[in-house]
Amino acid sequence: MFDIINTKSVKVILITFLVYGGLVAAHEGEFWPLSIYPMFSQGANPWTRAMVKDVRQLDDETIWQVSYFRNTPGTQVAMQDHGIDQIDFSNFVSKTTHWDEQRVQGLRTMMGPELLASKDLMIYKVNGIIHDDGSIDIEAVPFILLTENESVKNPNLPQSAFFRD
Amino acid sequence: MEKIKAFFDKNLFEYGRTETPGELIFYKIFELFIIGYVIHLSFYWGQYVERISDVVLPLGLAIYIDVSFMFGTTLPIWNAAIITGLVTLGYFRIAPAYTYSIAMLLFHWQHVVRFSQGEIPHSANLIGMTLLAFAVAHVCFKERMIIRRFSMGFIFFFTGLGYTSAGISKLIGTGWNWADGKHLWMWMSEKSVDILSRTGEFDFNWLQNLAFEYYWIATIILLVGWVTEILGFTMWFKKARIYIFTATIAMHFGITLTMNIRFDAFVYQLILIGYPWYKGINYLLKEKAGNNLLTKFSERFG
Repeated sequence: MFDIINTKSVKVILITFLVYGGLVAAHEGEFWPLSIYPMFSQGANPWTRAMVKDVRQLDDETIWQVSYFRNTPGTQVAMQDHGIDQIDFSNFVSKTTHWDEQRVQGLRTMMGPELLASKDLMIYKVNGIIHDDGSIDIEAVPFILLTENESVKNPNLPQSAFFRD
Repeated sequence: MEKIKAFFDKNLFEYGRTETPGELIFYKIFELFIIGYVIHLSFYWGQYVERISDVVLPLGLAIYIDVSFMFGTTLPIWNAAIITGLVTLGYFRIAPAYTYSIAMLLFHWQHVVRFSQGEIPHSANLIGMTLLAFAVAHVCFKERMIIRRFSMGFIFFFTGLGYTSAGISKLIGTGWNWADGKHLWMWMSEKSVDILSRTGEFDFNWLQNLAFEYYWIATIILLVGWVTEILGFTMWFKKARIYIFTATIAMHFGITLTMNIRFDAFVYQLILIGYPWYKGINYLLKEKAGNNLLTKFSERFG
């Protein structure tokens, strides 16, 4: 009896394996919970993350400056204190290619009305790059300023920074 | 084919071996752990969807069906409630065999609604794979002992496969120099930005400072992790299991220390399935033979 069951079990595992392979092959390695687990597979790639600082009461000249991420002006806004998932936020900022009105509104929705009412939020794109000698540069670029009533894109950045192909 | 069958039977299913009460009780505790996590994650993800307004990167079924109608509504909470009902019925074996399958489909849906935001998280993959194992086992087999043994074999097989796949992905994505310590420096720096933004503060810990200071330490950390992943397939071998699970759990602690990434669900589950806890339960049962509610419960609902 167990031989028949075992044969069937092996077949089920192999069929599942084939379906698994087919689904991940057709969906760039991911069809949750099936995955080829490609995380951290590419070493030394430049990366972009995002963070937020409260820049209320700082002048225009200061807030649009590019600097090392630890030296940016203003007060750090901790995402977890406001129920915002850092990974979602960071990916929303770094992976959006067309910052049309809807996307900017999506970012405002993510921040929530309470945060927007109490702070002037500078959304930074933080870029990391490694040089041949092993030194790492981490540069924070002011991207969009969100205040209670308006959203201002960095005037010093080219249009292509907000609308990439 | 005969050799494959013999290998699977000896290492993954062991249908010929008599099931002990300890195994039965362990299985129900493990199943409870899984459905508990499924319920928790379903509601946790569902509550967050209220804040989402856009699909950034559609995943899974979200590639074919626009999930945005779920955003800003209570629909994800209702979905979580239905999943809860289904897995509860499945746990107590008072529903049709395909109950876990429907729960799996809805759980996948909940995941892609929550996570079509640009990131592809893997922290709940093992929970999802295990629910899939239950779903497949209950559809394909009738006898409960077979369902339990098959489920565990399925879990060992695909967990091992997943880790080895992760190791191979690194080889394909970067090549043999993947374990170059400079890569770890980049990832630690990247994660430092995330932690700073998440919590408002960040300092590198002792291990991270050590890895930054000594290139060779950073390289060894990556190399040990990589080899552990590649060897994931040894989870298929019964005799190797305890060692590879211990190494994998240690690797996850290493990832937490160096890259501040926690895989709680993964680690808890690895601790549960990596060791023969049932032997301890059997020992305790001998001490209290003949009068054990847990045994009776497991026999009734196993």
